[in-house]
Formats: sequence, C-alpha cells, structure tokens
Amino acid sequence: MITIGDLQKIYRMGDVEVRALDGVTLDIAKGEFLGIMGASGSGKTTLLHMLGLLDIPTSGSIVIDGTDVSQLNDYEKTMFRLYKFGYVFQDYALVPDLTVMENVSLPAMLRKDRTEEQYHDASIDILTKIGMLDRQDHLPRELSGGQQQRVSIARAIVNKPDILFADEPCANLDTENSRMVLDLFRDINEEMQQTIVMVSHEDWHKDYFHRIISLQDGKVISDGTTGTKH
Amino acid sequence: MGKKELKVAFLLALRSLQRGSRSSVILTILIIGMCFTNMIFLPGLFNGIGQSITKQVVDYEIGNVLVSPKTGGQYVGDVGATLDLINGMPGVQRATPHFTKGATLKYRQRILGASVRAISPNDEKLISPLYTKMIAGSYLGQDDTGEVIIGKPVAGDASIRQEDEFQSSLGGVRVGDSISIDYGNGYVKDYRVKGIFFTGWSQADSAVYTTSTDMALADPRSLDNADYITVKAKSGYSETFIKNELIQYGVSEKVQTTSDLLAKSMGRALQSFAIINMVSLIVSIIITTVVLFIVITIKTINSRRQIGILKAIGVDKEVIMHNYGFQVIILGVLGIILGIIVTLGLAAYMAIHPVVTPEWSATLYITPMDLLINSVILFCAAVVAGYVPAYQVSREDIQTAMRA
Repeated sequence: MITIGDLQKIYRMGDVEVRALDGVTLDIAKGEFLGIMGASGSGKTTLLHMLGLLDIPTSGSIVIDGTDVSQLNDYEKTMFRLYKFGYVFQDYALVPDLTVMENVSLPAMLRKDRTEEQYHDASIDILTKIGMLDRQDHLPRELSGGQQQRVSIARAIVNKPDILFADEPCANLDTENSRMVLDLFRDINEEMQQTIVMVSHEDWHKDYFHRIISLQDGKVISDGTTGTKH
Repeated sequence: MGKKELKVAFLLALRSLQRGSRSSVILTILIIGMCFTNMIFLPGLFNGIGQSITKQVVDYEIGNVLVSPKTGGQYVGDVGATLDLINGMPGVQRATPHFTKGATLKYRQRILGASVRAISPNDEKLISPLYTKMIAGSYLGQDDTGEVIIGKPVAGDASIRQEDEFQSSLGGVRVGDSISIDYGNGYVKDYRVKGIFFTGWSQADSAVYTTSTDMALADPRSLDNADYITVKAKSGYSETFIKNELIQYGVSEKVQTTSDLLAKSMGRALQSFAIINMVSLIVSIIITTVVLFIVITIKTINSRRQIGILKAIGVDKEVIMHNYGFQVIILGVLGIILGIIVTLGLAAYMAIHPVVTPEWSATLYITPMDLLINSVILFCAAVVAGYVPAYQVSREDIQTAMRA
C-alpha cells in the first residue's frame, strides 16, 4: 500500500545540517496498525508528515497505491489528502467555530462524490459509533479533551480514508481517555480494515499495534511485528 | 472552484462571524458604516447646498429663465410688448420685470446703502414665494404707493448696538415706521414700511422692494425698461424648452436659463466642491481598505495553525481564501447597510432641521444612484482589502502554518 524508499529530510539551520530522516525505507500493508515510536527528536512526526503529504522530503520516494506522490502538484496533493487520508492531531485541531456535527462533516462536504444526504448520514453514523451523537450541536470548547479527540477521530474517518494518520493522539489525554481513544482506533482497524499509522512515545501503546518501527536520529533502528493480530 | 467548495467557504465564513469575537464583528461593521456615511455625507451636503442655492436663485433672483439686456445694452427695452409676447407663450407661467436702483436709506440716525427692487407685486407672486416670507406686516399690494417691504437684516434689531452689528442695518425698523430713501438722482421720498420679510437668501434679504408704480416716480426710465425679466416655467416644461421658445418667438435680448447662469457663476465653487468630494471619498476608501486589511490580516495571523490544519485535512487553499473573502464581503455588506441607514436617517433629520448659514440653508441631497455608486465603490474596496491577506495566508505551506 505504501512503499517508502531511502527517505531523507534534511533541515539546514545556518551552517548546521540536521538530518531529521536519514534513509528510511519501509513498506506498510493495507489494514496494518503501525506504530512509529522513538524518543523526542527521533524523526517520528517528520516521517508521519512525509507520509501524509504535509511535508516534502529532501530525497527518496513515497509510493502510495502505485502513485509516486512526489509527482503530484499542490492541488493533487490536497485532493489526495481529502480522498485517501484521515488525520488525528495531538491537539485535536477542531475548528473552534464549528459544531461537532459541522467539524465531522467538513471533509465529507468537500467530496464531489458525496451528496448532502450521504455525508450527513455518514456523520451521524460515525458520531453514533463514538458515542458523541448527543453532543453534535456542541462547540469544541464545550467538550472535554477526550471528547474532542473522539470528534477529531470521527472527522478523520468520515470519508472512510485508505489510511488514517495519528500524531500522538493521546499526548494531551489522561490514561482513561487515552485508552478510550486507542480502543476506538483498534475497533476501527478491526471492523473497517482501516490502515492506521500512529506516532507515539508511550510504551504501553505497543499493545495496540500490529507492528512497531522505532526511530533514532532519523533512522529505523527496529521494525517488527507485535503479538497483536493483523 | 465548484459549488461545494464555495458552500464550505461560506459556511466557514458565516460560522467564524457568528461564533467568533462579536465585539470585533460589531466594531468592523461600525467602522465600515461610518466610512460609508463619511463618503456620502459631504458630497450630499454639497449637493444640498447646490440645490438650496439653485432654488433660492430661482425663487428670489431669476426664475427659470432670465431675459437680460443684449451685450452693450443697459436695459431690456420695450418691456410691455416683450412681456405680452412672453406671457403668451406655451409653458410660461409668468414673466415679470425687475428694475433695481441703488439708494441710501435713512431711519433716525442710521444711514444704510441698499438696492431697491421695483416689482409688479401680483406678477411677482406667480414667480417668487417672497410674499410667503413676511415675518411682520404684509406684502405689497399691486397699486401701493409710498410703501416698501424690507428684509429683516435691513430692518435690524433695536436691542443690538450699532458697533456690535455683524451686518449694518437701520437699527430696528418696525412695521409702520417711516424710512427715507434717497435714490441719488435728487429724488428723495419717505416710505412707510408695510412689511418685513426673511427668505434666507442674503441678496433678497438685503434688499428693499417697492412697486413699479413708485419706482416710476423715482426713475421714469423704469416705465418701459427693466434690468431683466424673470420667467417662470409651468410645471412639466424645461428651462431649455422655454429658452428655445423665447428665441424662436423673436425675443432679441439675451436669454439664459438658471443652469446657464449658475454654471458660470458657480462653476469655480462647484469645482472646489468636486475636489473636496474626491478627497473625502479617497480618504474614506483608504480608511475602509486599511481597516479591513488589518482586521483580516489579524484574523489570518491568529488562525494560521487552523489554516494549516484545514489544508492538512484536504481543504483546498481556494476554499480557505474564499472563507476570508466571504467574511469581508459579509462585513462589507452589513457595514454598507448600516451606512445607508445612518445616511438616510441624517437626511431625514436634516430635511426637518437643515443646516442654516447667513448665506444659505442646506439639506442632505442624496439620490439612489449616489447610494448605489458609493456602495459599489466601498464593496470593491472591502473585497480587495479582504482578499489580499487571505490570498497570502492561503498560499503558506502547511508546515509553516501548522507550526504557527
């Protein structure tokens, strides 16, 4: 599904060269729940942003479903993100002026292959699934952190994306809410065969991943499956 | 950019205004509204002054069409025949001659120079509303002799000392008092003041009116001569029509419409007004553009991370740009509506309480076209001011925006 070859990202700060990613090569299979782990500054988020087309690599290739994404122009990348990807961010990143329902519907509204009725029904289904339907008219500021993150996940999967990217989605949550979010990810992965790529530095999150790659100084230092079923 | 994208952009804009900072929205609308009012108020006032002056000139000086002596001539001659000719023409309500003579007025110890205008009182009623402007006493009768009516500034106020007067007067003449008029040609006569008027038009208010009969005694040349003949058009007949008709009917004197005369006499004033209007308009547009530019720039700066997130989840930069564009369009439209309401309110107020100066009184003269043109100008300025920062921020790369 995703093939990454010799991916490099080099930042230049004056005369200093920082290799955020240094020759990362890996494949990600469909339906996989992949954890990217490593210490702070190891390049986890940079790799996630490269995969999610939020940043441009210095060199190397990313091929997603047979498409070399380096060949896409700005608009095509935007459409790629809209139609194929879902994102969950550490700080939820909901639009503060939109209600829960509007936030969840937003990516679906823009899809040319969805009618108003279809995206409305899809949003209702997702909100029901995450137990937030009764809060559909609330604004993000009226919700707890855990609830906001659930809404953020609902927004990410409303378009039934091929790949769901999550950048430390539990970083701002307590253990109970973190577990709730991770359970949700696992349900989505199992029920919808949803490919999930998640960045984390919490050791106990390993229990949820099928496979874990560990990064250090921009390099993959380990890549292995866990005991969790895929 | 499809319908769906525009719909999402509009939703984002609407929600931002509805649920964002209310005070910021209200303040922005107020500023736009005040800029609109400023754009239209000054030109409207100048137009009102122009209208007021035109009306007063028509009412108290020249009617709709003025027949004056040919170049080189001193008087319009053969007045009787000329009047018969003009009064018989279609579209003419009435024509009447004016004969004006400089004179010195004396009342007790006061001496004052003034113009004495000889009129035919009954005909004058069909041309000028002067007879409705009497504030004391009564208007002249057709066959009155030995009586005059005088303007309020000429009569003066007995309670004001001569050295304190802004404009020289006779120091408090009242109806029934006798004043002496010396025409400078050896003819001096005492007249009873029959009435005192006030029109608001300083040239009329500074004059003394007497009947043609009386003037014939002072200056026999007025019997068949006039300084000019004023012609009033019937409703529905244009000044130009009357002018052309007079020429076609063989009136050999100089024939000019009010517009012809005002274009000459007020041309420079109108040019000055136009320049002031233009400066006022440009200043208002600059203020509005800058304010909206600042408002939208601050909004975009504060929303950079959110813009990055929107782009990350697949919202196209065009949608983001139009989101801010729609916000400024909505703010602009609401500001313009507020401006129109304020302007019309001021116009209504000034219709009842006009701005009165010693020279003129003016209302706010605004046409629907003025409102439309200024609305379009302000709207365009608002759109430019909003779209420039929106365009800039929508082009920012995701990483930079998300790190903000």
